[in-house]
Amino acid sequence: MALPNQQTVDYPSFKLVIVGDGGTGKTTFVKRHLTGEFEKKYEPTIGVEVHPLDFFTNCGKIRFYCWDTAGQEKFGGLRDGYYIHGQCAIIMFDVTARLTYKNVPTWHRDLCRVCENIPIVLCGNKVDVKNRQVKAKQVTFHRKKNLQYYEISAKSNYNFEKPFLYLARKLAGDPNLHFVESPALAPPEVQIDMAAQQQHEAELAAAAAQPLPDDDDELND
Amino acid sequence: MASTNPETKVEEESSEAVATAAAAGEEEDTGAQFAPIVKLEEVSVTTGEEDEEVLLDLKAKLYRFDKEGNQWKERGVGTVKLLKHKQTGKVRLVMRQSKTLKICANHLVHSSMTVQEHAGNDKSCVWHATDFSDGELKEELFAIRFGSIENCKTFKEMFKEVAESQTHKAGEKKEAESAADLLEKLSVGETKEEEKGVKEEEAPASVSEEKKHEDEKKNEKEEQAKPDGEK
Repeated sequence: MALPNQQTVDYPSFKLVIVGDGGTGKTTFVKRHLTGEFEKKYEPTIGVEVHPLDFFTNCGKIRFYCWDTAGQEKFGGLRDGYYIHGQCAIIMFDVTARLTYKNVPTWHRDLCRVCENIPIVLCGNKVDVKNRQVKAKQVTFHRKKNLQYYEISAKSNYNFEKPFLYLARKLAGDPNLHFVESPALAPPEVQIDMAAQQQHEAELAAAAAQPLPDDDDELND
Repeated sequence: MASTNPETKVEEESSEAVATAAAAGEEEDTGAQFAPIVKLEEVSVTTGEEDEEVLLDLKAKLYRFDKEGNQWKERGVGTVKLLKHKQTGKVRLVMRQSKTLKICANHLVHSSMTVQEHAGNDKSCVWHATDFSDGELKEELFAIRFGSIENCKTFKEMFKEVAESQTHKAGEKKEAESAADLLEKLSVGETKEEEKGVKEEEAPASVSEEKKHEDEKKNEKEEQAKPDGEK
């Protein structure tokens, strides 16, 4: 399910479609998995962006091609085209914005018109925020439609691996599938260049003066 | 399913989120049935860390410096390790993201590397490295933050000690030491006793052994690189 300009891989890959209202955190969630960063700035996705995302499991390496779609209607583009051949999906809403939950059935209906009977995870994002508008108990849509539901926070990483783990288990039909350590290859020796090193030291000194983002959260051993 | 894992609840960063999830009864699998689309066989798992001794293992949050944006960006939360190879004596820093166990840092610790304090946070420190996380070498500025000042201190001290121990290749080391001995005889008291102690401890690996192992590792790397061959 790679795009024409993307190389195919010799291990199993799946097309994952991510839908939901604009601003619910679809892109931030994908980015978090890709680079580790947490992007606060909101830049609406135009059309669709496809990102390959690899995981290492006890059954080998697998890849999700994440089709991160525009949530905003005006940037939506050719929706059905994005959904076609989707093998699994995530529907995202924002627990701090009631309307985004109200729109979940519409996203589900549109998705299912194209992709019949694929595993779908409903994700209630931003559960780290204190003033929730949608309480966990009020989330019931998934029960009627046989979706899996996870409360997640792309900010705190709460449950951030669960949607992928669930989908991988369903796609492989293996409830015991789990993530394992990816092999840490031996880094090759590098030549140390004194001039370059001085430059790094200078850059480092400047960087050390820049604050770390969110340096107040807990980190317990 | 996944929610039956007890450690998931303990480790979460956000206690708020934990409380919420607990209230929701941590949703179980709704039992939806799908025909699997692939059949996967269990494979043997290699961490790549099998021949290494763990010198340090601490929970931390790692950041990389984004030069374009002139800002630190999160790279991952997980455990940072200093690993010493049992044969070559080389030490590397490896950090894995918790839950997904993906690698967010993987680089050798060199004698020239220094860890510096971070200006605004006494639980943090910074350094430069040529990182191999993605299977290609990249220059990175890293910052790491620990849960406590003590852990940060432990990390800094261990990093410093390791860097100093990697000073010279074994052959050069003997020369350096004999030079140091001479110096000591000439001007007693100017050579630091501590530094000398570290050098002596780290002396054993012979040049030939090291060379041989590099070759082995090269082969191993080529083998392992195959399944990762795409980019």
